[in-house]
Amino acid sequence: MEAFAHLVNELNAADQKAANAASSAGFAYGLAAIGPGIGIGYLVGKSVEAMARQPEAAGMVRTTMFLGIAFTEALALIGFVVFILIGL
Amino acid sequence: MHSAVVHLHGSLVHLVSAAAEETVSKDPGPIVPELKELYWSIGSFVVFALLMRFWLFPKLKKGMDARYEGIRSAHESADAERSSARAEVADYEAQVAAIKAEAAREVEAARSTLEAERQAKLAEVNAKLSAQRAAAAADAQAERDAARDQIHSAVADVAGLAGELATGRRPSADVVTKVVSEVMAR
Amino acid sequence: MIAESFSFPEINSILRWQDLFVSFNKIALIAVAAGVIGIAVFLLAGRKDASKAPKGVRNLAETSVEFIENGIVMQTMGKDGLGWTPFLLSLFVFIYLCNVPGIIPLIQMPATARMAIPMFLALLVWVIYNGVGLKHQGIKYITNTIWPPGVPVALKPLVGIIEFISNIIVRPFSLTVRLFANMLAGHILLVTFALLTQSLITAETMQLMLKPMAILPFGMLVFLTAFEVLVAFLQAYIFTILTAVYIGGAAHPEH
Repeated sequence: MEAFAHLVNELNAADQKAANAASSAGFAYGLAAIGPGIGIGYLVGKSVEAMARQPEAAGMVRTTMFLGIAFTEALALIGFVVFILIGL
Repeated sequence: MHSAVVHLHGSLVHLVSAAAEETVSKDPGPIVPELKELYWSIGSFVVFALLMRFWLFPKLKKGMDARYEGIRSAHESADAERSSARAEVADYEAQVAAIKAEAAREVEAARSTLEAERQAKLAEVNAKLSAQRAAAAADAQAERDAARDQIHSAVADVAGLAGELATGRRPSADVVTKVVSEVMAR
Repeated sequence: MIAESFSFPEINSILRWQDLFVSFNKIALIAVAAGVIGIAVFLLAGRKDASKAPKGVRNLAETSVEFIENGIVMQTMGKDGLGWTPFLLSLFVFIYLCNVPGIIPLIQMPATARMAIPMFLALLVWVIYNGVGLKHQGIKYITNTIWPPGVPVALKPLVGIIEFISNIIVRPFSLTVRLFANMLAGHILLVTFALLTQSLITAETMQLMLKPMAILPFGMLVFLTAFEVLVAFLQAYIFTILTAVYIGGAAHPEH
């Protein structure tokens, strides 16, 4: 407890700002990862379903799946860049 | 504790980057492109892509195409050879079949000739047998008729004599014969 | 103890490099090496006898050519796009060779984790696909791009703005960020687990307990290195296939 009190006392304005930046960076990346996570899961699941249903179309489905993953993943990566920019 | 932190800062990253020590300057952000890196990478990629486009790729592709063409033509010639071999096999099989048919026909002809001869011989033998049988039957019939005639005349004599003895006069031969015939026929 | 003694280094200290000589640092070295290795591989491959079954370096080169032709060009552009194979092949090889140093021991720096190469390549692709569109469709390329066929007149202003932003602005941006951020994330992950391993090994207190625990982050480091092999290939593939899709879409608007 004494150590924490010491820490709190030591926090000056710059440290406060850095702490805020770090936590908001975490939020930025975490929130940005939710949507693409769901999206990629859904996309790959559906692709596997399609490949299982029609194995002869697997090549085409796989190509399209990678394209879809690339588009979906971009959102998470933008979140990651924001994380880098404000957090580190 | 402090020494541990310092040690950490001189960590694997430093070991790993033995070739180039990292800078301590932190003016630009981590996502700002550096001009010197940009120049070198542009130069490198442009040279690579142009060499690829006008020299390396066409050369490689020409070799690949030539080989694929070779493989394709070899495939085609192999196919042609295979089909000609198939035709030869079919030809051979047709000949074999023709010869087999010929042989079968000859065998069949010989067999039918033999059969005909056999039939003829059989008929001849049968005819001979039946002629002999007919002759024998005719002989037997003649014998039987002769015997019957003898019996007839003997019975007629006996009957005539018996009638003469009974009536004192001789019945006419016609009547006796007639009666005997009737009796014998009964 | 760990929480106190472990601190992540300043981000620039794991990304920026001192000049080896004037205006030539490690990233530039990797980029130049990628170009040189690519040229060397295809040069050696071209030297070998083409009529025999391909072996070694020629097999590698021919496999990559067929991968680009069958896996990327035929899937996205069709037969008309085969003329783009050399460009896409050099793009793929260059990006891959810039990605792969991220996992090679003692180098361990993907050149694409710096902004320069992804940005330059994405801008190049942007110029190329817009140039192809203008060449194939003339001035109609712009209207075809911002108004997909069958848009009601009432929606044209809105759709026009959205499509313009997504086709002209977002595409190069997302191409850049996708490649850059993937490689940067992989690099930071590797650094993190390497640092964890090292801080456990060099811990000054509770050494008996902490030193054996270093096997955990080390195992993760090995796993992530293997994962980065896949990512290096996949990002090169995705950059190339998106380039093919953009060029194909600009050349034939109906697709």
